[in-house]
Amino acid sequence: MANTDEKLQKIAKDLLEGGEVSLVIGYTKGSIPQRMRPVFITKAQDASRLSFSCYAVQDLAVFLKKPEVKKFGKIGIVVKGCDEKAINALIQEYQLLRDDIKIIGMECNGIIRQNLADKGEAAVSETTVYDKCLICNEHTPVLYDYLVPSENQKLNLSGNIKPYAKIEELDSMSAEDKSAFWKKEFDKCLKCYACRQACPLCYCSRCIVEKNMPQWIDTNIEETGNAQWNLIRAYHLSGRCIGCGECERACPVNIPLMLINEKMARDTYSLFGNKSGLDINAKPVFGVFSESDFNEFIK
Amino acid sequence: MQEKYFETEAENLQKFVDSLIADNFDVIAPKDKDGDVFYGKIDKFIDANLSILLPKVSYKEYLLPKTETLFEYSLSGTDVNIKDGLDMYYGENKKRVIFGGRPCDAASGPIMEKVFNWDYKDEFFNERFKNLTIISMACEKPDNYCFCTEMQLSPESSYGSDILLKRGDNMYYVSVLSEKGLSLITPHLSLFKEISRDRMPAGKDWKKVFEIGKTKSFLDKNFEHNYFQDRFLSCIGCGICTYTCPTCHCFDIQDEGNLKEGRRIRNWDSCQFAIFTLHTSGHNPRVTQGDRYRQRLMHKFKIYNEKFNKYLCVGCGRCSRNCPEDIDIKEIAGDLAGLI
Repeated sequence: MANTDEKLQKIAKDLLEGGEVSLVIGYTKGSIPQRMRPVFITKAQDASRLSFSCYAVQDLAVFLKKPEVKKFGKIGIVVKGCDEKAINALIQEYQLLRDDIKIIGMECNGIIRQNLADKGEAAVSETTVYDKCLICNEHTPVLYDYLVPSENQKLNLSGNIKPYAKIEELDSMSAEDKSAFWKKEFDKCLKCYACRQACPLCYCSRCIVEKNMPQWIDTNIEETGNAQWNLIRAYHLSGRCIGCGECERACPVNIPLMLINEKMARDTYSLFGNKSGLDINAKPVFGVFSESDFNEFIK
Repeated sequence: MQEKYFETEAENLQKFVDSLIADNFDVIAPKDKDGDVFYGKIDKFIDANLSILLPKVSYKEYLLPKTETLFEYSLSGTDVNIKDGLDMYYGENKKRVIFGGRPCDAASGPIMEKVFNWDYKDEFFNERFKNLTIISMACEKPDNYCFCTEMQLSPESSYGSDILLKRGDNMYYVSVLSEKGLSLITPHLSLFKEISRDRMPAGKDWKKVFEIGKTKSFLDKNFEHNYFQDRFLSCIGCGICTYTCPTCHCFDIQDEGNLKEGRRIRNWDSCQFAIFTLHTSGHNPRVTQGDRYRQRLMHKFKIYNEKFNKYLCVGCGRCSRNCPEDIDIKEIAGDLAGLI
């Protein structure tokens, strides 16, 4: 691990010293040994604070939408493969210029679920990492300017654990049962909008829930308002969500938001052959029309 | 009221709680849910999880619901019918007990009561608070994020509790601290054995890692300090700190409805949202997330203290534990105390 950190620190130091970027966003040690936190490095001598491990849970691409961070201009960013897809999606959607960002890709073998890490879990295995890690095809990021190879063992998958297994279960339910399932989940919602804030692709400067002339989405934190909010967010992320899982991790009441996002991603893939965030030159799937698109709903 | 002290066997405590439930009390306790623990209504004593430190979210919603109807209106012809939201509260079960919360959570009620009775007496809050009986469980092992001791409380403090339990060997020491608490146990006195104060276990000497007075002194003089802008670059403004906080109490009043019928409600709100202070003109006095987190610190550790002589923080550490970006308020309050 120490070696990985040294390589990472050297890259960041060189980038800052050479004036190629004015800020490097990365991870540093957190409040307890099992937590890491984002760190914003502006001076080459502070690059030694950078670190990476199986606790580097945050998707740092979320900071690229923040006005205070945008001010820095050219930015270096430390990303795992999943988080890097968010950068690609931002470039695809014209939120970011490729030339303004230096991507420091980390080879990643899985991130330990935070609730387990908090209880002391230290072993990366198929039972301790996030479901997103079990379906990950981007352990090495698809796009990077620098790559820091991992010195840890590859994640070993036995095939016995089915990621997002609940999706199949929900698919087989009647509409009423599905509705009852989600009603119960959305009942818990506090409307803190942490899902939105933690999402690298929820970058609207004024979210639909904040548009109040007229008030499109009910403000109440009850059945109607909660359902409207969670459904509108699901639609707005369809075909765009890159599956980093930050919304679900941030949710203080444990709504399984990734079941929605992953389901939408699977549907987008089966209907349009599209996976989000893999190619900066591709057009966003719902931003273009193609004659070969699935058109069966127009009859 | 003169405090009273009792002992009770663990199984008698169970009988006591089960009798409250049988007597139609809503008993709210830490409860396993979705792989974590949240406060929720229990149907029997054994549904309560008393082995954890703290539920993920505070029980604030029993004092200030996520959404509360202030009034409803409907029109028939030229008649306007108004229904007072308080009547709807009176329709709820008012016999409510919080069981197995911690001293930090218990302290939040009387602290918030001050602002809800400052220039305006908030009947909604007051009614709920009046009818809530708090049975707390003293902590044995605070974690890294706890700092109640710094916040003028302690893992064993009784402030805000009606009854405080301390675990003994397969038994509990019971301090009855208020009339509300006494009237709750009086029908069940056969389950409790009164003891004298000197039989109660002595409190431990809990160590502080910083002086909150110094944090305040720093805030008094350093509104424009760079610390805020630099440190809170990592804040994503999700508001979880405020929503899971037992003392953050900001709300937003909204109207929902149409010409025929509708209602005025108040919803939880958060100073961490950019829109919170956005003026109609488009001007926002709190532009950056640094400005917004500073506000949270100012309100908790300075402003509230100056107005009400209490800090608006009980040191439960939820904001730190739940922060997706690992912003640790104990560390920050300590940092600021060290900067003075």
